[in-house]
Amino acid sequence: EELIMSSWLPPKHPIVVNAFEPWAKEVEKVTGGRVTVKIMGKPLGSPPAHFDMARDGIADITYGLHSFTEDDRFKRARLGQFSFLGDDAVANSKAYWTIYGGKLDAASEHKGTHLLGLFMHGPGLLHNNKRKIEKPDDMAGLKLRVPGGYVGDLVSSLKATPLFMSSPEVYEKLSRGVIDGVAFTYEAMTAFNLVDYIKYSMTVPGGIYNTTWFFVINEGKWNSLSEKDRAAIDAISGEAFAERVGQAWNNADVVAKEKVGDKVLFYKAGPEVVAALREAAAGLEKTWADSLGNDYDGAAALAEFRQMTGVGSE
Amino acid sequence: MTISLIAFAILLVLVFARIPIAFAMALVGGVGFALLRGWGPAGAMVGNAVFETGLNYSLSVVPLFIFMGNVLAGSGIAQGLFSAADRVFGRMRGGLAMATVLSCGGFSAVCGSSLATAATMSKVTMPSMRRFGYADSLATGAIAAGGTLGILIPPSVVLIIFGLLTEADIGKLFLAGIIPGVVGIVGHLLAVMVAVRLNPEQAPPVREVHPMTRRDAISVAAVLALFAFIMTGIYGGLFTPIEAAGMGAAAALVIAFATGGLTRAALWRAFLDSATASAMIFAIIIGAEIFSNFVTFAGLPGSLSAMVENLGLSPWAVLLAIVLIYIVLGCFLESLSMILLTVPVFYPLVSELDFGLAILQDPDAVLIWFAIIVVVVTEISLITPPIGMNVFVLRSVLPDVPLRTIFRGVYVFWMADIVRLALIIGLPVLSLYLVT
Amino acid sequence: MSRSGPMAGDPPPDMIPGRSQHRQAGWYRLLAGIAALLIMMLIGVTCVDVIGRYLLNRPFGGAYELTQMLLAALVFMALPLTSADGGHVEVDLALHLFPRGFQRLLGRLAGLVSAVVLVYFAWRLIEIGLDQLRGGTRSASLALPMAPLAFLAAASCAVSALVMVLRREEP
Ligand code: NA
Ligand code: NA
Repeated sequence: EELIMSSWLPPKHPIVVNAFEPWAKEVEKVTGGRVTVKIMGKPLGSPPAHFDMARDGIADITYGLHSFTEDDRFKRARLGQFSFLGDDAVANSKAYWTIYGGKLDAASEHKGTHLLGLFMHGPGLLHNNKRKIEKPDDMAGLKLRVPGGYVGDLVSSLKATPLFMSSPEVYEKLSRGVIDGVAFTYEAMTAFNLVDYIKYSMTVPGGIYNTTWFFVINEGKWNSLSEKDRAAIDAISGEAFAERVGQAWNNADVVAKEKVGDKVLFYKAGPEVVAALREAAAGLEKTWADSLGNDYDGAAALAEFRQMTGVGSE
Repeated sequence: MTISLIAFAILLVLVFARIPIAFAMALVGGVGFALLRGWGPAGAMVGNAVFETGLNYSLSVVPLFIFMGNVLAGSGIAQGLFSAADRVFGRMRGGLAMATVLSCGGFSAVCGSSLATAATMSKVTMPSMRRFGYADSLATGAIAAGGTLGILIPPSVVLIIFGLLTEADIGKLFLAGIIPGVVGIVGHLLAVMVAVRLNPEQAPPVREVHPMTRRDAISVAAVLALFAFIMTGIYGGLFTPIEAAGMGAAAALVIAFATGGLTRAALWRAFLDSATASAMIFAIIIGAEIFSNFVTFAGLPGSLSAMVENLGLSPWAVLLAIVLIYIVLGCFLESLSMILLTVPVFYPLVSELDFGLAILQDPDAVLIWFAIIVVVVTEISLITPPIGMNVFVLRSVLPDVPLRTIFRGVYVFWMADIVRLALIIGLPVLSLYLVT
Repeated sequence: MSRSGPMAGDPPPDMIPGRSQHRQAGWYRLLAGIAALLIMMLIGVTCVDVIGRYLLNRPFGGAYELTQMLLAALVFMALPLTSADGGHVEVDLALHLFPRGFQRLLGRLAGLVSAVVLVYFAWRLIEIGLDQLRGGTRSASLALPMAPLAFLAAASCAVSALVMVLRREEP
C-alpha cells in the first residue's frame, strides 16, 4: 500500500529532511515494506487547506499549523500557542502530544483523520531592528509581524502594532522597513533570509510564542491498513515522532544560531518586561480557558504543560 | 508518465474542440484525479483550487497591474508611445512593425502581464499597420512577440510568482529582468529587419513621417514617470513589489487625469476590461492548478526530475536538458501553469549544481539567473504553437485574422528568442549585472 | 481626442481579450459596477496602508486580509462578465477545416461542457461554504467570516454556467 503525503514546506526544510522523510522511510521498514509513504514534490493544495486535504482524502497524509485559519474547530489546540511554555522543542512536543492528545482530547478536534503527531517548535523570539527592549514602554509603536491572534493581542497590550502577513512576505516587508520586527523562531531568521534586517532578538523564558502542528492521516485510509501495520506505524508516530521532530527543530535552531553568529544581539528580556508580558498573557490564557467550558480544564492543562517542560517553577 | 501523456493528448483534443482552456484543464484534471483517487477527494480538490486561488494575496497584482496598463491605454498613452516609436523607425522598411516592438517594450514597463500587453498593443498598432499595407502575419507576429516582453521587463506578475515559489528576492528579480528584456527588444527589432529583407512585400516602402506631437512626448514622459515611480518605490523601500501594483494603479490614475486624456467612458472601460481580463486569467490559473494537481499525482514532476538526474549529465547539460523540457512543455502548457508545475521541481535541482563560474558561486545568483532563463523560456512558450497564449489573445482581439497567419508571422521572433535564450544561458552576467 | 500621425482616426482602444463587445444588460452593468468598486477598494487598501505607515506611522493591520478578500470578490464578480463576453481563451486553430454548421455545433457543445464544469465548481464551493459555516471559519486579524465569500463564489460560478449555455454565437 502506497500512502500519498502532501508537503508544503520547501523540500529542503529541516523538518522535512530530518523528521518527515526519515519517518516515511521507517514506516516502510516497520511494516516490512507493506506500507510505503510517497512525499509529493509539489503540494496538492495551499498550506491552509492541508488539514481538510487529509480529511477529504485528497492526500492520505498531511501536516500543518492549527493556526492557519481562525475557527472554532482547533480551540483546544491553542494550548501550545501561549507564551512561557518551554525552550526545548522535544519537551514541548512531548508535553503537547501527551496533554493535548490526552485530556484535551485532540482526536475529537481532528475528526476524519487519525493523529500521527502533534508537535511544536523551539521557543519563539521577538526580533526587531529598532531598539533593544529594556522596559515595557520600549515596545510602544513597534510594527511587528505576528503569526496569529494570540501574539497579536499580547504585543498590542504593550502598545505595539501587530501586523499579519504570510511568512514569505516578511522578508519583503522587513527589508523595506515596512515592519520593524517579527515574532519568529531562531530557525526562521535564516530560513527567510532575515539576518541582515534584524539587530535585536529578545528571548523570553519559555518563548514569547509557539506554533502547534498536526500530522495526520485520512481516517478511512488508516482503517484500511491491517491492525498489525497500524500498530507498527503508531509505535513510530505520536510520542516517538514528537521526539524526532522536536530534535529536528532543536538542531535547526542550533544551526541557525551558529549562522547568525554575532550579527544580531541576542538578549534575555529584563524582569520588568517579562512581568508585563506575564500579566497580559495571564488574561489571555484565562479567556481561552473560560472558552473551553466545563468539559475541559484549560488552566490545569497549562499548568501541567509547564510542569512537564520545566518552566512551571519560575 | 504515460498517464500524463494521455492526459495531455485528451486536453489537446478538448481544446481544439473549442472548450475554453481554463475549463478543459479543469475537466481533464478533475476527472483524471477522480480516476486515480476517487470522486470525493477529486471534488474536494477542485473546490479548494477554485476557492483558494481567489484568495491568493500575491495574485492581487494581476488585476492591479492590468488596470494600471489599461488606464494608460485608455488615456491614449499607449498610442502616444507607438507614435513616438514610429518616429524612430518611420523611414525604414518595416518601420511600423519595429515601432510596435519598441512600444510593446515600453508598455511592458508599466504593465505586469504579457497577455494584457498583447491585447492592448494590438488595438493600438494593428489598425495603422493594416492601413499602410503591412501583411497581417508580420503585424500580428510583431505584436504577439512584443507582448511577451511584458513578463521580463518589470513590473512582472510572473517574476513575482517565481519569487514567491522560491523565496527569491522579488526586487532583485525585477532588476535582473531589465537587460535581458532590452536584449529581447533588440532581438525582435532585428527579427523584423530580417523578415522584411527575406520577404519585402510584407511591409510597404518608406512613407512620410509625422513630426512629434506634444501629446506623444507627454505619453513617453508619463510612461517613464510611472516606471520610475514603481522602481524607486520598490528600491527606495517605500513599498513591496506586490504593493507596487496598487500604488502603480493609483499613480496611473493620477497621471491619466493630469494629462487629461482619460474620459469617463474610457475609465469605465478600463475598469471593465481589467475585471474581465482578470477573471479570464484567474479561470486559467484555477484550471492549471487542478490540472497540475492531477499530473503531480500521476507522477509527472517526479519522473521529470528523476529523468534529468538519472542521465548523469554535467551541470551545464542538466540545465540544457531542463530548458529543453521547458520548450517542449511550453508547446502545450499555458505559461502560469508551466511555472507553477515545474519551478518547485527543477529549482531545488538547479540550486545544487556547480556551474564553475565565479559569478554563479552565490546560490542566490544561480536562483536569479535560473529565474530569468525560466521566464525567457516561458515567453517563448507564449508564442509556440499549438497552445500559445499571446497568439490566442491576439486572435480574440482580432477575430478576422486566422491563427495560422499569426503563427506564420511569429516564427522569426521565435528564432530571435531562441538566440536570446542561448545568450542569457551563456552569459549569466546579462541577468546578474544589475543585481550585484 | 484628435491627433496626427499614423493613428489618426483609429477607433478607441478596446483592450479586452474577447470576441464580443461588453453587454448593456442591467445585470451586466450592475456586476461591472460592483467590480469597478472592488478594484477601487483594492487600490484604496494599499494606498491607505502605504501612506498611513509613512505619514501617520499607522499601518493598516488588516490590509493583507482585506486584499485577499477583495481580490476573491472581484474575481468572482467578474467571472460571469467574462463568460458573457466570450472572454475565456479558446483555440480555433483547426476550426477552418470544418463546415460552418459544425463549427457552430462545436461552439454550443463547448459552452455546455464549460457550464457542466462551472456547475461542479458551484456545488463544491457550496460544500466549502457549509463546512466553513459549521466550523466558524474567519479571517485571522479582522475575524471576518469566510463562508459568505464561498457562497458568493458559488453563485458566480452558477451564473457563469447559465451564461455559457445561453450564449449565442455571432453569425
Ligand atoms: Na512588465
Ligand atoms: Na505554447
